[in-house]
Amino acid sequence: MTRRISSTHLFFLTLVVAASLFLIWSSAGASPTTYNLIVVVPAGVIVILLTLWILIGEWRAMSAGAVRKRTNLSETFGDILLLALFAGLCLGLTGVGFDVATFLFIWIGVHLCGERRLWAPPLFAAACTFLMVKFFGSLFPFPMPLLVL
Amino acid sequence: MIDLNAFSAALTILFSDFGPWIWVVPGLIIGLVFGAIPGLQISMSMAIFLPFTFGMDFLQAMLFLTAIFTGGAYGGGVTSILMNIPGSSASVATTFDGYPMAQKGLHNEALGIGLAASVVGCLIGYLFLLLLIQPLATFVLRLGPMEMAVIVLWGLTLIATLNDGSAAKGLLAGVFGLLLSQVGMSSTGVMRTTVGNPYLIDGISVVPAMIGLFAASELLRLRGNSYLVEGDKSHSVRLGGIMRGIGQAFRYPVSLIRGSMIGALIGVVPGVGVSIANLVAYSEEKRAAKDSSGFGKGDPRGVVAAESSNSSSEGGSMTALLALGIPGGAATAVLLAAFSFHNLVGGPAFIRDERDLVYAIILGNIVQVALLLILGLLLLRVLGMVVKVPLAYLVPTVLAMCAWGGYGITGTVAGPVTVMVFAGLGWLMRRHGYPVACAVIGLLLGRMLEGELVRTLQISGGNPLGYMAERPIALVMLAVLILSAVVLPVWRARKLKKA
Repeated sequence: MTRRISSTHLFFLTLVVAASLFLIWSSAGASPTTYNLIVVVPAGVIVILLTLWILIGEWRAMSAGAVRKRTNLSETFGDILLLALFAGLCLGLTGVGFDVATFLFIWIGVHLCGERRLWAPPLFAAACTFLMVKFFGSLFPFPMPLLVL
Repeated sequence: MIDLNAFSAALTILFSDFGPWIWVVPGLIIGLVFGAIPGLQISMSMAIFLPFTFGMDFLQAMLFLTAIFTGGAYGGGVTSILMNIPGSSASVATTFDGYPMAQKGLHNEALGIGLAASVVGCLIGYLFLLLLIQPLATFVLRLGPMEMAVIVLWGLTLIATLNDGSAAKGLLAGVFGLLLSQVGMSSTGVMRTTVGNPYLIDGISVVPAMIGLFAASELLRLRGNSYLVEGDKSHSVRLGGIMRGIGQAFRYPVSLIRGSMIGALIGVVPGVGVSIANLVAYSEEKRAAKDSSGFGKGDPRGVVAAESSNSSSEGGSMTALLALGIPGGAATAVLLAAFSFHNLVGGPAFIRDERDLVYAIILGNIVQVALLLILGLLLLRVLGMVVKVPLAYLVPTVLAMCAWGGYGITGTVAGPVTVMVFAGLGWLMRRHGYPVACAVIGLLLGRMLEGELVRTLQISGGNPLGYMAERPIALVMLAVLILSAVVLPVWRARKLKKA
């Protein structure tokens, strides 16, 4: 248990406020007319006010003695690792080919999700990749870069 | 009450060839399987399979997606009955009496009751929509841009404030979604916030963003578990018992109709939908019963009320989608995305210009109900086993499908990258109790809201307040919006304090 606001929550709120400020600034720079800013400015201001409201609420709750369950660091790290691997897949699909990127992602992903056996994940990844290329991919209206299949 | 010309045109569209039906059975199977997997929401399966609809015509796509929706509503009930684990929030009330029935060895009967109630509920929900769409069309066609703008804001406020968590977090998610929808070229032709990236000229691609927020972020959350259901809670599923259960459901016609009507009416209200409908119908059934002592201990009326209401609310939520172009929840948000995917805009103009298609969607769904009965019977045994899929294999495979889905929509790396960015955002949001569905709906409705507001400004000559004074419907809707935005959060905060 801890009395500090979660760092990932703070990161999320900072990201939201930064994105809102950037969107308002950028839209106003493009054209400062009412027509252009009719949604951006009110929405941006509401987002910033709500963020402050949530932050103040969290701080007040913590100062009043509320405790929050401490985040399991290894779980968070595992999630971030899988997210990073997923980012690799998304960026690598068109670069290294759908087949190779998917095969590697599923293989490593299965291990990251807790599989301990060594032989099952690559076999499963190969079968899955083959099926996805032949069935899922055949429904795509766009050409799909492949390296092996 | 029914436009007969459009109705007969719809029959021709549906039954002149087999085309519209090709994807219905696969859709139902996908919905049943995903619905039966606790943690995997119906909206998530719809988002993952949305890119498949690229090659389909609009009606095929709608029937495919609504089949997933219909199948999912029942699939969630199976694990509620067999394992006391609701497949989705729509099936929470099913556990109250379904699982006690299973503990008494009446799981086959409970499954049969659930299946019959789902079929009847779905049928009543769509019949309700069939009868209501024409009068609604007459009303909504009188709405101008100002009324539509207020309705969009009202819908978004309701969705944000009536979510399961904090109202402030719901509102933040919804308004942030609105803000993100403003990236790219505006409705007046101004280029905003593209950061020099040509992929952002048309704005953030909604479908990949939706796949990231709904599906990928949910999968990341499931990563830590080994199986969806731990332990070996298995029951033998037998057709004889299920058939007895189906017959038993019809011994409670009042419960069936009451549950279905409650579901259909609640489904119409944006933001409330299936997750509330089953709980309200269950408590109403218990309240109305002469002898309520059996509720919670395996009373079949509880299963009838819960399952009929969650299925009929689908028809109710389709009413708001088709008539106003406003999604009532996450699943209808995916359906709205399918509209834009096929260059159509839901709402008044759609029911004015494409009424035959509207009737075809409704009739197609009524036929789906019969197919649900058959497939439900055939697949019940498989659905009971689906929760034993090891998550270590399921999570990366479905994640890979999400990335592929992003590419299937855009044909460029922008699709998978959008999925990736929104998966990260969704992961952060879910982790801290922000409802991702609100952000998706904000993202979907933002452009529509901007267009309606700009038109209001143009029509009113820059004096929207003076113009509003001449529009009584807009004034009433604004009052309802303010009430929803102020009263609902206060009411919820008081309720939370009391609890």
